[in-house]
This record gives sequence, structure tokens and C-alpha cells, in this order.
Amino acid sequence: MPVLCACLFALGLPACAADRERDAAAVAARFHAALEARDGEAACSELNPETASKLEQQEKKPCEDAVLALELPTGGTIADARVYVTSAFAQRAEGGTDFLDEGPDGWRISAAGCEPTAPSQPYDCELEN
Amino acid sequence: MRRFLKENSLSIVFLALFLAALVGQAIAGHADFNDNAVSHGDPTISLGRYVVSSDFGAAVMENWQSEYLQFTLFILLTVWLLQRGSPESKELDKAGRESDQSQKVGPYAQQNSPRWAKLGGIRRTLYENSLVLVMGTFWLGTWLAQSVTGTAQYNAEQLDHQQDPVGWSHYITTADFWESTLQNWQSEFLAVGSMAILAVYLRQRGSPESKPVGAPHGATGVEG
Repeated sequence: MPVLCACLFALGLPACAADRERDAAAVAARFHAALEARDGEAACSELNPETASKLEQQEKKPCEDAVLALELPTGGTIADARVYVTSAFAQRAEGGTDFLDEGPDGWRISAAGCEPTAPSQPYDCELEN
Repeated sequence: MRRFLKENSLSIVFLALFLAALVGQAIAGHADFNDNAVSHGDPTISLGRYVVSSDFGAAVMENWQSEYLQFTLFILLTVWLLQRGSPESKELDKAGRESDQSQKVGPYAQQNSPRWAKLGGIRRTLYENSLVLVMGTFWLGTWLAQSVTGTAQYNAEQLDHQQDPVGWSHYITTADFWESTLQNWQSEFLAVGSMAILAVYLRQRGSPESKPVGAPHGATGVEG
């Protein structure tokens, strides 16, 4: 039984991780496509509520206006997405990384337009909660 | 049925305790996971989602691997190592793998001995060591599972802090992996060592894990 359970945790979960990675990548792709189309409302619908709320407080305007005022990368394609427990990241082929959280309504972006700073150091993000 | 329950009560009670404790761990772990999520401004998850998560998997596996390591080592080391006065030890003149005659194998097997004990060759070698082989396999399997689920759990925290995830081969060199491994190992080694030495001087009337109450402290390899 322990070996069976070990296999469930060790082998079973990565198998279903592929679907979740596709879902996370799709959210990031929709977010950047909405920015390219200058559709702030659609872009904000892909954001984690905490992140959207913090953005509104910082910029002192509605999320749909504030998100378009940031220097976030627009359009492009997602080259890589990885999922761990309820966290994920998605990397654009053109550069820039988004971080996502999984909630009851699926994946939402918690930080976007992130660039690496130094090894083992947090990314520097244009938008984060 | 009553007879079956009586004759297997030890296994049945421990299986029931195990399942109850595992359910309790899942409920408490889920509540703790969501408490942490709320404090970090992250979304909460359902109990069903939690019990298939790497977070729960790592918490379960790190305990399982240490228990199987404990028993694997205990079975193996008590072949050669002794503790004067302990019922957990063999008699002082019996250290080692012992003779075929005392182990009732090959030509010394009895009519009702297991079939592979009567044979020679690889089958007997396997059967002679089957307890350690199976327990050792469980230990390595669960330790591997701990490392895989631990990698996912570690990476979830990395992403929460907007840091790069790491691969499995990197994770098993991290302090996080070894801290969770060694904190479980030390408690198992302490428990076994305590049992071996306390059972020299202390008794539990009626328990086969203890010497008979009136047995002298120096009596070794005697079970009550």
C-alpha cells in the first residue's frame, strides 16, 4: 500500500499537471492578448482579486484603466508554463514572466511583467500583489 | 467472525487508528493550508483538492518514510547488534545470521515451514531477507515520493515569492529536504533507542514487548 500511495503522489499528480499547465498558460495568454487589444476589463478579469485591488489602490483608478497604464508586455505567446500545488508561472516566448494562483474559479494572475534580477532572488514585477 | 477479529485484533485496531489519524491529518492540514493561503492573500482550496496536493503528499510521505526506515534498520541491526538485558535484543551469544539449524531452513526445515524456507538458492536467499527487502523498498519508495512531492511544495513557495522553481536534483540538496527528513529520522532513532534501553529496567505485565515482570534486569532476549 505505501508503494501504491507513493506512486499516486509521485507519478499520478504530474500526469494531471499537464492539463493544469495548459489552463494556466491559457490565462496568461488571454491576459496579454487583452492588453494588446487595449481591453482593460478583459485583462482585469484574468487578475487575482487581491492583485487587482492593490493595483486600483496604488494607481487610484479603476483596474481596467490602471492595468493599461502599466508597462506590461502585450500579445505574444506562452513558451513555458509550470504548476506546483496552487501556484504557477508562465513565461512568454518574447520575454517576461507571469505568476499565477489557483482559486475556486481557476487560475488568476498574481504578478505580471516580471523579469529575473539575480540568481535565487525574486523577480522584479511591473504588477504584483 | 468473532474469532477472526480476536485473532487479528492488533492489525485491525492499528489499521483503524491509522485511517482515523490520516483523516484527522487531512482535515487539520487542509485548515492550516487555507489559513496560510488567507494570510498571504491567496485563494483557498477544497478538502478534495488538498488531499491530492503535493502539500498533503509531502506531509504524509515524510512520516511514512521515517517509520519504514526505523523498522528496516531495527530488523537489520538487531541481527548483529545486542543490548544486554533488553527484550528487543537477541541473547548475547546469538549475534549474526545464526545457523541453518536454528533458523529451520534447508534440510532443517519443518514440515509446516514456508515452502521457500525448505528450498535452496536464490529463492531461499530472497525469503530469508524478505522482511528487510520489503520494508526497505517501502522506505525508499516513500522517501522518493517525499522528495518528489517536497519539490512541488518547495516550488509553490518559490513561485509565491516570485522566485524560480528548482528541479528535483537541486531540491534534494536543499536544507528544506534534509530538515524535513532528519527531523523525522531523529525522532524514530530516539524512540527505538529509548525502547531498547528502558525495557531493560521497566516492565509492562502481559506485553510481548516487555520481559516478564519478575525477569531479572540482566536477562536478555526474553519476552513476556
